[in-house]
Amino acid sequence: MEITTAARGDGAVLSIAGRIDTVSAPALEQAINRSIESGTRKVLLDLSGVSYISSGGLRVLLATAKRLRDPGDRFGLCCLSADVLKVITLTGFTSIFSIYQTEGEALAGW
Amino acid sequence: MPGCRDALIYPFIRKIDTLSSNSYLVRTSDAVIIVDPGGLPEQAAFLASIILESSGASTKPLVVVLTHAHVDHYLGILSVPLLADPATAVIAAQECGVEALESADRRLTQAALLGLEIAPLRIDLHLLAAADGDGGGEPVTHRYACGAALTIVRRPPETGLSHEQLVIGSGPPLEVYHTPGHSPDSCCIRIGGLLFTGDLLFAASPGIAGISGWNREALVRSLAGVRALLSRGGIEAVCPGHGRMLPVDEGLGMLDAVERDAGLLAGIAELDPERASRTAAYAEDCMEQVNELFTVMTGRLYYVSHVMDELGESETAAALHALIRGDVIDDLLETFDAFSREYHAGGHVPMTLALKGGQVINKLQRSFNHDELARIIDPALVRRAERLLDDYTTMLRGFDPARDTAMHDLRDLLQTCIAGHTLRSCTDEDLLDSADDDEAFGRMLLSRIGMPPLLGDVAVDLDLGTEQLPVLADGGRVLDLVTYLIEDLVGTGARAIAVRAGRDGERAVAAISGACCAAPSACDGKPRRFLYGLCERAGGALDAGGPGSSRSFTIRFASVI
Repeated sequence: MEITTAARGDGAVLSIAGRIDTVSAPALEQAINRSIESGTRKVLLDLSGVSYISSGGLRVLLATAKRLRDPGDRFGLCCLSADVLKVITLTGFTSIFSIYQTEGEALAGW
Repeated sequence: MPGCRDALIYPFIRKIDTLSSNSYLVRTSDAVIIVDPGGLPEQAAFLASIILESSGASTKPLVVVLTHAHVDHYLGILSVPLLADPATAVIAAQECGVEALESADRRLTQAALLGLEIAPLRIDLHLLAAADGDGGGEPVTHRYACGAALTIVRRPPETGLSHEQLVIGSGPPLEVYHTPGHSPDSCCIRIGGLLFTGDLLFAASPGIAGISGWNREALVRSLAGVRALLSRGGIEAVCPGHGRMLPVDEGLGMLDAVERDAGLLAGIAELDPERASRTAAYAEDCMEQVNELFTVMTGRLYYVSHVMDELGESETAAALHALIRGDVIDDLLETFDAFSREYHAGGHVPMTLALKGGQVINKLQRSFNHDELARIIDPALVRRAERLLDDYTTMLRGFDPARDTAMHDLRDLLQTCIAGHTLRSCTDEDLLDSADDDEAFGRMLLSRIGMPPLLGDVAVDLDLGTEQLPVLADGGRVLDLVTYLIEDLVGTGARAIAVRAGRDGERAVAAISGACCAAPSACDGKPRRFLYGLCERAGGALDAGGPGSSRSFTIRFASVI
């Protein structure tokens, strides 16, 4: 799994490529935490390069949602593949954080 | 060594796999005996090095005895001269296995199933030869180039098992019992207080039962004979061909389980390379679906736990995590995925992948608390997961998954399915009714959060016509299939679905379509390969339309007029 972090205004967009599985989930959690610890309270994950997410990956998403729940905080996902979107939808996670079709759509609302 | 003070045993116990068996090295006053040298050259070479190191200046005759002629029990010796050369070793095998070994029969030795090429193996001594009769014959001594003198004494059958003694000098005799079933030549060998049982204890296991040469009736007779042998005393431990050595009571317990399993195996299909390939393909299809189902089940539970935590119920939230071992499940799924990648790179034969699937599925079955989980998340989700795992185990065992085929009106099946996914399992009224009872309210709240109806926020256009559509189908599987298809649509963003039932010529047809997909470019329109097989087992044939922003699935059944 590869993660590229880019600043967008006062937020951060993390573009992820590869599988988010039991091995790579901790690296994703660390990358997100680094962004939050550097003061960013708006995090968008671009999952266009992700074909698979395991329950370990879902746990990281929930932990992030829990950290970013103060007024003004934002946490969302964009550009999901069909398989990842399906898992996120069927688990009920769509009611915890926002899902966007594109990065532009997400940032327009921030 | 238990039961004979002058002998020593060196058990070489391996982690269980299909490549090689355990080996047991026994040193008596007059010989070194190897029971099953194993399938790998390095294992045989290691045994040879132990023999050379421990024998010092004295050279004792070396006798290799096979519990049966399967490659994982003997193939390693072919590349180790000390064990295979007539100048240094005598190789003994039961008569029924001799021809397979000497003619390099790939089928009976299981080389074909494991994708191995083999060379012939010379056998010096035929054990329990038919020509020797089945009663107290005269001792016959055979002398070999390596200096060994082996005396065979044919004995009357014991506990229903053909029996002979192999005497080597003044050491403890090897009591050889013919125990066919796993293979025609399978033997159990007793030396002192130990009984070497080869693969008898695994003979009814999925992926092993049904291999070439396997025979259920013979196995059942052999199991009864070995049970009597173990029950009458004198044997202190069982030394199986795979896995650790067992005390007798544990060995008897395993015999019970094998007998029980063998009782269910009437009519099993032969496990040949062709069936191994089909099972391996099915394993991959199943695991793809299992992967998604288990990730969704675990995620759903995490979601409920998260919401409870938000509501300040942190104790309940923590307890929920104990119902499913997300980390264990992830590891198991990852293990299979890695194994499957190796398989496609040419690293494994189909049989090994099929067995790996069985191993992973067996562990998955123990990784979640079925009943508790079904109280919190959608029980239909848990039931589908169970059925999926059961079907794979059935297939690996050599059977087609059972079909509960009956006459149904296709419209009723669709109506039931849609209603099940539209209604809340816990209504507002249920929730209000439970408000006076803390415990009941807690339960209701959990199921309300954990079981949102799949079609709760989805517009459903249902038109099932007015004409009855009788079909012969497995109703449970039709419901599972339609649910998987609806999940495919709703999960990828459909906010409206249409469900139709009608006729197409002589066929009854159900059509399910979704109005849009949030990521149309990412949808290839095809459902998983697993669903085509599921539809077939349900009694129908599945077709998919798409790709694009509108996706449709059609299920056709032969109509019964």
